Amino acid sequence: MTSKVATPFFLWKHLNKLRWVSLTLVFTMLLFLPYAHLYQTYEAAHAYDLLADSEKQIYDTMETLTSFLVDDVEEDLDAIKGNTWSGTFFGLQLSDPLAAVGQIFAGKTFYLPFLLTALIPVLFTLVFGRFFCGWICPATFIYELNTNVAAGLRRAGLKTGNRRFDRRVKYLVLAAGLLLSAISGSVLVAGVYPPAIVGREIYYAVALGGFGAGSIFFVGTLLFDLLVARRGFCRYLCPGGALYSLLGHFRLFRIQRIVENCNDCAKCNAICEFGLDPLRDGFGQECNNCTACIAICPTDALTFKVQIRDQPDRGPGHLGKQYQREQTQADEKHREAA
Amino acid sequence: MKRRRFLKAGGLSVVALAATALSTGASRAAVNQPSLRYLRPPGALPEEDFLNRCIHCGQCGEACPNRCINYFELENGLASIDTPYIIPREKACILCMKCGDVCPTGAIQKVEYELEDILDKVDMGRAVVDKQLCLSWQGKSCGVCYRACKLPDVAIRVGYMEQPHVLENCIGCGLCERSCIQIPQAIKILPRKSA
Repeated sequence: MTSKVATPFFLWKHLNKLRWVSLTLVFTMLLFLPYAHLYQTYEAAHAYDLLADSEKQIYDTMETLTSFLVDDVEEDLDAIKGNTWSGTFFGLQLSDPLAAVGQIFAGKTFYLPFLLTALIPVLFTLVFGRFFCGWICPATFIYELNTNVAAGLRRAGLKTGNRRFDRRVKYLVLAAGLLLSAISGSVLVAGVYPPAIVGREIYYAVALGGFGAGSIFFVGTLLFDLLVARRGFCRYLCPGGALYSLLGHFRLFRIQRIVENCNDCAKCNAICEFGLDPLRDGFGQECNNCTACIAICPTDALTFKVQIRDQPDRGPGHLGKQYQREQTQADEKHREAA
Repeated sequence: MKRRRFLKAGGLSVVALAATALSTGASRAAVNQPSLRYLRPPGALPEEDFLNRCIHCGQCGEACPNRCINYFELENGLASIDTPYIIPREKACILCMKCGDVCPTGAIQKVEYELEDILDKVDMGRAVVDKQLCLSWQGKSCGVCYRACKLPDVAIRVGYMEQPHVLENCIGCGLCERSCIQIPQAIKILPRKSA
């Protein structure tokens, strides 16, 4: 009926695929690094013949995987170390903002060299909001697959949880975690922060021969998401997500609705992992710019905009039935008055 | 009603927090108890500062070419969870100083791979010889600990019948304890005292 006022830049529709590439890369990296570490230690020991068969397998596999990249295994594979909580990337040390804040609380001091490692992530968060949660977090990779498992279970006729809680609870968790870190003098928020746990536990499992206590906690969060609330941990409890949300309050890049293109189909609300309300312009600081809503929108009604505040709720979409009914009623009234 | 529930949940979590905080306080007093003799990686700050600084990222272990760095779960108290430790009898530190290079928070200081700097900054503990168990002290010349030491004649010297004498400069890397052929070992690292 009406022609579209503006179509979003065509690439935004495909960002969701790019996001999955990014998530997969990060996760693969976390799987790869512990094995690279093992390979380095085998190399450092100079005793290939003394390795067990399984160790030889690891050595050989890693050799084929990395031989075209590195000459000196012991030195060159040091280029990338660590995980998303804190890592070294070609000489550049990067840390999660929560690690920096947690350490400030635990030590009650400002240790500048470390705080600087969180600077780049903080700057990116100021511009892109909670993008870490959607684009990098290794736990998100598992949690989103877990959402798919839940969908499969529902299709099979089983009940999964879809309760809703107050989203502000996670700020309480953040405050509690920092308070606990300050009291105990140890960065204990790291123990309830899934990306830190996932990175660590993969390393423990591969290099140290078994999962640690954190994996029990992580499985608990998976069950919570499955049985109680969809994506519940990230939505309501994650302390890191809370910090990223606060930092991203005035983010520059926001997904916004083009009300003229919207037909009120509500697919965006159904797909939104964080339970937000794109259908009625309800994004807020929680949006992680995952672009799943842009990808699913059948009428190109969602796009990126550069502005520091959300648009206010602009009511039903102009292509939807409700809006058109209201329009015709208004027209009739107008005619009667005339 | 919603607000009341929110506040109630808040109150409950504060109580839970206080309880955990108390229990961590109690468990911290037990650091380096005799039943759990462990070392921190070389160059680690004094225990209190170390715990303040460490963000439990696990990079030190990933950098260690000798795989001697392991991580606590809850056996040393909640404050020590996921922090690195070394049990010298299982695998001792070879003093390569890579963990300090990679530590982002300075919980493990950067130490140059040079004698001066190592003696200056590294304090993991100090070796102690049990003369009742030591073969050399019992008249069967052995000297394995001396040969295992990375700092011979600086940290340890041998006398008559290769009887080991630990010197002032011993920094407690644990290579002697690891290599001791007696069971149980006749030379042990006593970890540095926690701050």
